Amino acid sequence: MTTRTNFKAYSSTMMKVFSQDQCQELVLAAEEAMWRTGTDFYDKESLEILKKAGCWVDGKRVRIPAHITEQALKTCQKHVVLCNSRTGARELFVEGNNAYFGSGPCTPFTRNPFTNERHRATRQSVGWATKVLDALPNIDYAMSLGIVQDVPLLISDRHEFEQQILNTDKPIITVCVDAWGQADVIKMAELVAGGEEELRKNPFICLYAEPISPGIHCLEAAQKLVMGAKKGLPTIYTPCIMAGGTAPATMAGVMVQGLCESLSGLVLSQCAREGAPFIMGGVYTVLDMKTTIFSYGAPELHLLLAGLADVAHYLNIPMFGTAGCTDSCVIDEQAGIEAALSIAMTNMSGANLNHDTGYSEYGTTSNLDLVVIADEILGMARRLTKGIHVDQETLALEVIEKVGPGGNFADEDHTLEHIEENYAPRLVNRAARNIWEKAGSKTLTQVANEKVRDIINHHEPIPLPKDVAAKIREIVENAVGHVPGEDE
Amino acid sequence: MANFEELSKSVISGNLAKVKKVTQALIDEGVSPLDIINLGLIAGMGVVGARFKNGEMYVPEVLVAARSMRAGIELVQPLIASEDMPSAGKVLLGTVKGDLHDIGKNLVGMMLESRGYTVINAGIDVSSEKFVQFIKEHKPDILAMSALLTTTMLGMKDTIELMKEEGLKDQVKVIIGGAPISNDFADEVGADGFAPDAASAVDLCNRLLA
Repeated sequence: MTTRTNFKAYSSTMMKVFSQDQCQELVLAAEEAMWRTGTDFYDKESLEILKKAGCWVDGKRVRIPAHITEQALKTCQKHVVLCNSRTGARELFVEGNNAYFGSGPCTPFTRNPFTNERHRATRQSVGWATKVLDALPNIDYAMSLGIVQDVPLLISDRHEFEQQILNTDKPIITVCVDAWGQADVIKMAELVAGGEEELRKNPFICLYAEPISPGIHCLEAAQKLVMGAKKGLPTIYTPCIMAGGTAPATMAGVMVQGLCESLSGLVLSQCAREGAPFIMGGVYTVLDMKTTIFSYGAPELHLLLAGLADVAHYLNIPMFGTAGCTDSCVIDEQAGIEAALSIAMTNMSGANLNHDTGYSEYGTTSNLDLVVIADEILGMARRLTKGIHVDQETLALEVIEKVGPGGNFADEDHTLEHIEENYAPRLVNRAARNIWEKAGSKTLTQVANEKVRDIINHHEPIPLPKDVAAKIREIVENAVGHVPGEDE
Repeated sequence: MANFEELSKSVISGNLAKVKKVTQALIDEGVSPLDIINLGLIAGMGVVGARFKNGEMYVPEVLVAARSMRAGIELVQPLIASEDMPSAGKVLLGTVKGDLHDIGKNLVGMMLESRGYTVINAGIDVSSEKFVQFIKEHKPDILAMSALLTTTMLGMKDTIELMKEEGLKDQVKVIIGGAPISNDFADEVGADGFAPDAASAVDLCNRLLA
């Protein structure tokens, strides 16, 4: 028998980009930028809320005193749970070191899994995408994977949400075009949950807004953020910034610029309603200096967001990250490399709610083959972070002794008992060459595409009650679009 | 024989101080101001453009080179009658109404300037009426509109329609760009072209004005 005292063990693989001291340095620098430089708010109500809270308001420019930021960091709700839309079951604990993964929103284009044609996203494509997300075991929640464009564009968000809620019971992160759209979507979600209080108690939707970097909180974003806070619904605020374009070229400078924008959003949410659940988002990457694209495959994206996860853990606030995406225009080796690196690294960093799985072509075109491949990568990545459990049973001295030199572990009970610790692939090929050839010599992307088609043709999501679906239809049909920038 | 090569090289390396110094020296020698621009400054930017296309130079290097070229041109400009100033063309640039996204359009503007275009930047959140007003005021060869959102890209069509109503569409080419924009959309709204990035926006302008 052995005894262990004063002994430290890891229950997961460890990875850090920043130390505690560096996290503090970054946050304090962001507080300095929020005060010295400030950010611009384009919404009148937000300006009033911030002014009343003690921020210095000069026209659109708002300078936030550090004590207000620090207070907001204290008051925001740290414990955020997203639920199943059909049962209300509490499923995703978006907090601490939990890492969940799902798709991304708002791609103008998508690739049709049957014809391989690249076209504008439609009601049908969003419905299909949601079905695929619903069926995949490692995908935890759904974002739309496309802006519905075969309907009037100013009310596309209502159509998008309808397709989502009809095709999955997983939590939904909804990106609305403006406050009116968000109000309609909340109304629909309340219908599904059984009322405003029920939705707040067991929220299955999460709201989303983003500033325009550097440092601009546009009308739509600020209004959506305030509405989310007032409703007490989890709201993500995501600066999408690129080093050397909308942020400094240095990675630390990107962190400061991003935190400055996120935390300014946090302050607005807490001043609108203290305690509102706020999720700090980020798509921090580089402006590619050859092509001028916003890169979704750069190693800096993964590095920056793993760094942001460290800061989120330091601040003890939930975080929204980015993974499973690629700059490649098709699902090829490049797509696989970029998706795998980002998922593995993001998962190791412990960022809570990670999106954009299925983005190709630097975020402009969604691709369901990539979603299926990412589901497999996620299985592998989660095996990596499960780490290696060390105790008397797993050290396995008894069975090593029993089998002895020249023996065979395959038929031992110990082997059978522990076999499930290891990842069993569903998609990647490990078969011998002859067998793989007999099965059609398919590439991973071909196998993934077959699975996508199979899900679309055969998977049946848990349906919504008919009367609820009818009421949702009514809201969609009566939706009124508003011209962007319109205030009243 | 004036040393244009030294000037071109200084532009290529983005050495602003040296560009100013060499330009001034050439002016003092009595070299023709138009030759200084065409054989020295713009020739240097021509090399920069070619190298960028080949992937040998990056965006910030191009922009720094363009900045040094402009510093040289500013020294020469007072010596040339304004109608004689060489320009590849005049481009009016703006992000459409309701859209505050700025960076893509600005990169297009900087790349155009680096290739000798005169750029008038109308800014962000520009309404159709404002675009038309700018067109009347500045008489550009090309109007370049940007949008990042599917909800705002419709503003491009509104602007083109208004230009038609005002009888301006035949005088000004219209190009559009931004993440949700495509060739099909450009055809649909009646634009003369779509460019997927800043460098191809320059090529597109060159083609349209050729």
